[in-house]
Amino acid sequence: MDAYLVAILTTAAIYVILALALNMQFGLTGLMNFGVVGFYGLGAYSSGIMTETLGQPIVMGMLAAMIVGGTAGALVSLLSIRLSGDFLAIVTLGFAETMRLAFNNEDWLTRGPRGFLIMTRPVLEGLGRDATAWFILGVFLLVAAVVFVVFNRLAGSPFGRVLRSIREDDLVPATLGKNVLAYRLKAFVLGSSVMALAGSLYAHYVQTVTPDNFTTQVAVLVWMSLIVGGAGNMKGAVLGALVVTAIYEGTRFLAPLMEFLTPTQVSALRFIIIGTLLIVVVRFRPEGLLPERIVARPAARDPAPG
Amino acid sequence: MKLSRRLFISSAAVALTAPAYLRTGLAQSAPIVIGSMTPLTGGGGPYGPEKSDAHRAVVAEVNANGGVMGREVRLISEDSETNPEAAVRAARKLIDADKVSAILGTWASSVTLGIMPLCQEANVLQLFSGSSDYLPDGDSKGLIFNLQPLNKAWAVALADLAVQRGFKEVAFAGPKNDFAASMGESFAASLQALGGSIVGEPFYYNPGQASYRAEAEQLIRMNPPAIFMAGYVTDFIPVYRELIRGGFTGQIITLSFAVGPDFKDAVGSAADGILHGSPIPPIGKDSYDAYLKLVGIEPNGQVQNSYGCMAYDEINLCLLGMEMAKSTVSSDVAAAIRQIANGPGDRVTTFAEGKALIDAGKPMNYDGASSSADFQENGMLKSRDFALYEIKDGKDEIILTTTSDATK
Repeated sequence: MDAYLVAILTTAAIYVILALALNMQFGLTGLMNFGVVGFYGLGAYSSGIMTETLGQPIVMGMLAAMIVGGTAGALVSLLSIRLSGDFLAIVTLGFAETMRLAFNNEDWLTRGPRGFLIMTRPVLEGLGRDATAWFILGVFLLVAAVVFVVFNRLAGSPFGRVLRSIREDDLVPATLGKNVLAYRLKAFVLGSSVMALAGSLYAHYVQTVTPDNFTTQVAVLVWMSLIVGGAGNMKGAVLGALVVTAIYEGTRFLAPLMEFLTPTQVSALRFIIIGTLLIVVVRFRPEGLLPERIVARPAARDPAPG
Repeated sequence: MKLSRRLFISSAAVALTAPAYLRTGLAQSAPIVIGSMTPLTGGGGPYGPEKSDAHRAVVAEVNANGGVMGREVRLISEDSETNPEAAVRAARKLIDADKVSAILGTWASSVTLGIMPLCQEANVLQLFSGSSDYLPDGDSKGLIFNLQPLNKAWAVALADLAVQRGFKEVAFAGPKNDFAASMGESFAASLQALGGSIVGEPFYYNPGQASYRAEAEQLIRMNPPAIFMAGYVTDFIPVYRELIRGGFTGQIITLSFAVGPDFKDAVGSAADGILHGSPIPPIGKDSYDAYLKLVGIEPNGQVQNSYGCMAYDEINLCLLGMEMAKSTVSSDVAAAIRQIANGPGDRVTTFAEGKALIDAGKPMNYDGASSSADFQENGMLKSRDFALYEIKDGKDEIILTTTSDATK
């Protein structure tokens, strides 16, 4: 059981990182990125190609993932960022699908549908099976913690305040002389490169990636995490990812309690339960479990007349 | 009701720890735990339930007769969702939480390959059905057994048929997935061995498109005398329609599962003349009929539950292997399965027959519901029955049944 919990926490850590990245883009800045899985997959393959095809160490793979993910984020956002939210949503959705087709068809680079085998792992040599699992979990938690601390600081900084004001009404910061496009671009690139970093971690953890690993389902889980947790709040994003993973995995253990149903029915029921729980959360707590808290500053006093 | 943060956190904590309490409650005796991971949803959804049912039916029967090594067998079913990402999480649960000794029943090659690193690391046996030629590559410990012949074996029979009918120049088309990609390579190699060749480049399209007109036009422009299409029924129907609409008059060769009743209903008389083939269970053989009756189906001389019969062999071989090895250690069980499946020894078709021989200390040779279940050194089948058909007046007319030899 311990080993299983370690494995699930490792998966959860990846979703935490993805949810934090999406929170930077959507929660703070209001950029609708439905192409989470495109950047995630790009990171996974970039990192894999760096370590397997080019034989570089894993740190180079992670770095390559962040650079490629960030560059792709810049290109995608420059294509569409001037347009309003809905257009960006469609462009990113298209981007994710394009990426999946590229992974599937560029066999010379990605080995296509047969899957890309990755032998490099983020561990020290010579650890046993249990120790390896714990080590990987430690690395992932560390990365998640670093992303959280950095993003949380950014969210509370003047940078974060500008992003929030862009989300609420981009005319206001523009009037105050802020370059709205540059801020949107920064937020999007930051988020995309962290999504790619998560992809890199995932690839070296599961060790085989195929284009089927990067379907929209993953993006849906990340969006669920953010909406359940509370968009705009970094702690909410973390909690949301943990809750969604817990629901998703926890429902597996219902099967022994329902011996009277066939596995096919249990499988269908699992998705019904997941859907219902999410609806309940959104119905009773639409702002998320940990809503965004904006500290109201005391209104500045009018300067004394005269 | 307002869900306060405190209420939420406390209820989440209870929900998260609940599985731990449940497990301590359940793990009293020491049953043999086996994972059944079938595609209950997703692309393999039509085939998963029959595999899952076959596993459960055999386990129920074995448990009713005293279990394996006198221990109860506990079968834990998980849904692979026909998706390697979801399958890896399900496999983690089976391996780390349930501590299974074997995972049976994976269907899509991408899923089987996706969970293979985990199974290898944890020394978990895998028995499955898949046809990608890359399947043996992921196994370095001799822990896999595949009840489906690899593409190489299918391709030999189909290329043979094409050449017999006078088609030495054949175009290849198929969806861009693991199955069709390796089928394309194998078919080209088989055709070349017979002195034929592939027209142009093998043509791959992306499955799940709204329209296949552009793809069909391109195929027609290549003007091949025959096309071998390794499609699934969902993409084969629209591609075939576009080909006929575009005026293609050459021969179509395909796989039987693409031209089932759905296809014949959809295209009507346009289906006539198509040549197709696929591995088939041994129709009319006692072992196949015994499987069908076990899951409540009346044998009717037709191919029924072509994946369920493989699942029946998966679970029988796994349980017999454990009984013979008197152990659930995967390397011992794998060695026992090799002896049981390949013989020599008395023919057995069920767990009960095999157990009687083991108790008497005699060797055996398992003869399965899907094939004679003889394995090569790498865990792939030596041979399977293969049938070739031609569609005439909307019905499949059998041309010949052969036994394909995968060892060549």
